[in-house]
Amino acid sequence: MLFNSIDFIIFYVVVTTLFFSAPHKIRWAILLAASCYFYMAFVPVYILILGFTIIIDYFSGIYIEKEHSARRRKMLLMASLTANIGILVVFKYFNFLNLNLDVFLHKFNYHNPIPYLRILLPIGLSFHTFQAMSYTIEVYRGNQKAERHFGIYSLYVMFYPQLVAGPIERPQNILHQFHEKHNFNFNLMQSGLKLMLWGFFKKLVIADRLSIFVSSVFGNPDIHNGTTIVIASFFFAIQIYCDFSGYTDIAIGAARTMGFDLMTNFKRPYFATNIQDFWRRWHISLSTWFRDYVYLPLGGSKVGNARRYLNLFIVFLVSGIWHGANYTYVIWGALHGLYCVGYVVLKPYLPSPQNKFAARLVRISGTALTIGLVTFAWIFFRAASVHDAFTLVRNLRSFGEVPFIGDGLNNFAQCILAILLLFLLEYKIEYYPDKFNFFSSRNIVVRWGSLAFTILWIVVFGVFNGGQFIYFQF
Amino acid sequence: MKNSSVTKFLVRLAAFGVILIVADYLVGLGLKKIYFSQRVGQYSQTTYALDSAKQDILIFGSSRAVRHYSPSIISKVSGLSCYNSGRDGLMIPYAAAVQEVSLKRHVPKMIILDISPRELGIDKSKYERLSILLPYCSRHQELLKYIKEVGPFEPDKLVSKTYPFNSSVFVLACNSLLAKSADKDDNGYVPLENAMTRHETDDYAKRMAARARKVRKKTEIPEDKAIGYFKQFLDDAAKYNIKTLVVISPTILHNPFYLDNQLLERNLIEKITGRYKNATFLDYSNDPRFNYHPEKFADYFHLNVRGSKEFSEIIAQDVKAGI
Repeated sequence: MLFNSIDFIIFYVVVTTLFFSAPHKIRWAILLAASCYFYMAFVPVYILILGFTIIIDYFSGIYIEKEHSARRRKMLLMASLTANIGILVVFKYFNFLNLNLDVFLHKFNYHNPIPYLRILLPIGLSFHTFQAMSYTIEVYRGNQKAERHFGIYSLYVMFYPQLVAGPIERPQNILHQFHEKHNFNFNLMQSGLKLMLWGFFKKLVIADRLSIFVSSVFGNPDIHNGTTIVIASFFFAIQIYCDFSGYTDIAIGAARTMGFDLMTNFKRPYFATNIQDFWRRWHISLSTWFRDYVYLPLGGSKVGNARRYLNLFIVFLVSGIWHGANYTYVIWGALHGLYCVGYVVLKPYLPSPQNKFAARLVRISGTALTIGLVTFAWIFFRAASVHDAFTLVRNLRSFGEVPFIGDGLNNFAQCILAILLLFLLEYKIEYYPDKFNFFSSRNIVVRWGSLAFTILWIVVFGVFNGGQFIYFQF
Repeated sequence: MKNSSVTKFLVRLAAFGVILIVADYLVGLGLKKIYFSQRVGQYSQTTYALDSAKQDILIFGSSRAVRHYSPSIISKVSGLSCYNSGRDGLMIPYAAAVQEVSLKRHVPKMIILDISPRELGIDKSKYERLSILLPYCSRHQELLKYIKEVGPFEPDKLVSKTYPFNSSVFVLACNSLLAKSADKDDNGYVPLENAMTRHETDDYAKRMAARARKVRKKTEIPEDKAIGYFKQFLDDAAKYNIKTLVVISPTILHNPFYLDNQLLERNLIEKITGRYKNATFLDYSNDPRFNYHPEKFADYFHLNVRGSKEFSEIIAQDVKAGI
């Protein structure tokens, strides 16, 4: 079930009403049933995979907690992680690995006897698997008590707002919330609905509008010139941000209306002044996951410089692979790894600005450079294949030729308008967080007027036949 | 649950809902008024094609129809009045929809359908774009079945008075502000002025050749639903025994459908057209008068004013011969 569908609106209203109407002790059951229904609306049989993960990690958590022998505890953790990663490998990477084996064996004139799996990738697999893994790791580290209530633990993995595309929650933040009683809270309800509205705006008005142009260019990489590719890549940078952060806003908003507090996932990433800053603002739940469970265990920054750079690079490479079984993602991750290592190496030599003007200049040029680097990497992320990506990069040489603007000026102009609007709103939130907050103005005319205006803007400028959220495929 | 805060929320939600309905109605009413008072641009052309066109010859098709056929040249040579009902970015389902509505009002002597093989290929955008018919659904109920191609809930969304004008505000504003300075179209024909260069053509040919190596490995799969709309178009014309020309207009490259892996669709168009006695298939895609003549093309897909006038003269002779 997609958030941007009428089905979801009906589902959301029914579930939220049932949640508040039911007594506290059965609310978890209502949310769990709703989450199962939500997930099964995609491919019903894949709920079995989720069930398998839940059972493994539920019992792993309990046994890890009970076990006193450090070696056994570690073995239990390894068993749990192997089961989770095993599911990821089978469903997400098996065919990719098999294809690579195919190519390798073909070079030596051998036939690869292993057949390909004819399966669809379970939706949101990487998200709920990572969330499940964070639970067992935290129990192992002693930061989280093992959850005894099987239903509540299942809900931790399956909570529908963040089930298919995050934020990837930590047990310390969300698990206790499922035990607490959530009374109807007028302020949380209002604020949650407003956040959902903003999420719908980002998805329907900006992301799906830009995707029309982006798809037409990335779908035909051979025929477009450099100028068009630069525009399409920049549009994609904005599209993926609005698509993913729009989803996150809807998820956080929907949870908030029921009294649940999910973690922040985006903090206006395109205002970042360097690549490190970008990763502190982009997909925060994933980058902190990799920091806590990959980077730090590898030694983090407490090792020699060379090892530290390698650790950084490995984290980004794994992050690229996490996104999908395609070399385009591997290259995307490697590029970000190189950017980050490059920044860490150069950082001590960067001069600090002497006055306000210089500071502003450094900030603006840093932001522009970061957007440029990130946008270049998005070419690999968006391209259907490595061949397509390099075709696009090669065609960048014809930058300066007259660009293709799609079917007439209408869509293109709406893209520009959408980007300008996003920039203004994000600029306001970044630099003037306490000013012009129309949605929460004390004046009811301003408050309701701005809400009605936003809804009508979505109706007038939104794209209502857009596809699913980009991050669902991961 | 605290009843007082729930009641407060529900009362406010209801009040906000009322305000939203009123705002939607008023904005919708304003947009409707602006939309149907357009005098230039494609909205006014679609309105004319659906509500008023009564010419002897009606032309249907996509942007290649709009840009390639000059009704005044065709009328001058054939002695018959002519209107170009094509529309940018729209394909065979749109042509079928406009034809269905038009034929209920008026039976022309001849129909020209400009079609590209890719219109019979798999591409969901040709259905999504049917949403431009939303403003006309209240006048022409038969359009609702085409609207359902956009999405199953699309007819239900018409409960909003603003929704039919979704994505059209920018064009409405431009047309209204620039109406006086904009050139009036020639009975639906809107020529493109600029010309391509030899360098651009060679560059495009090179890129298409590279693409051909890739796309030709894929299996061609025509889309049954699109074929259905094409047949429906020809069936409707046959029902009224209207002479019909099914035309593939000139392209800048020779053998473009081979390069783009659309031969199956191209041959299907010829085969299906051949089944109708009232219909004739004309393929100008390999015409040497246009292939590799960048001076006659505005971009990779469209003739410019020079090319389209030359082509209209040729089509006018076909029309004359057909009559």
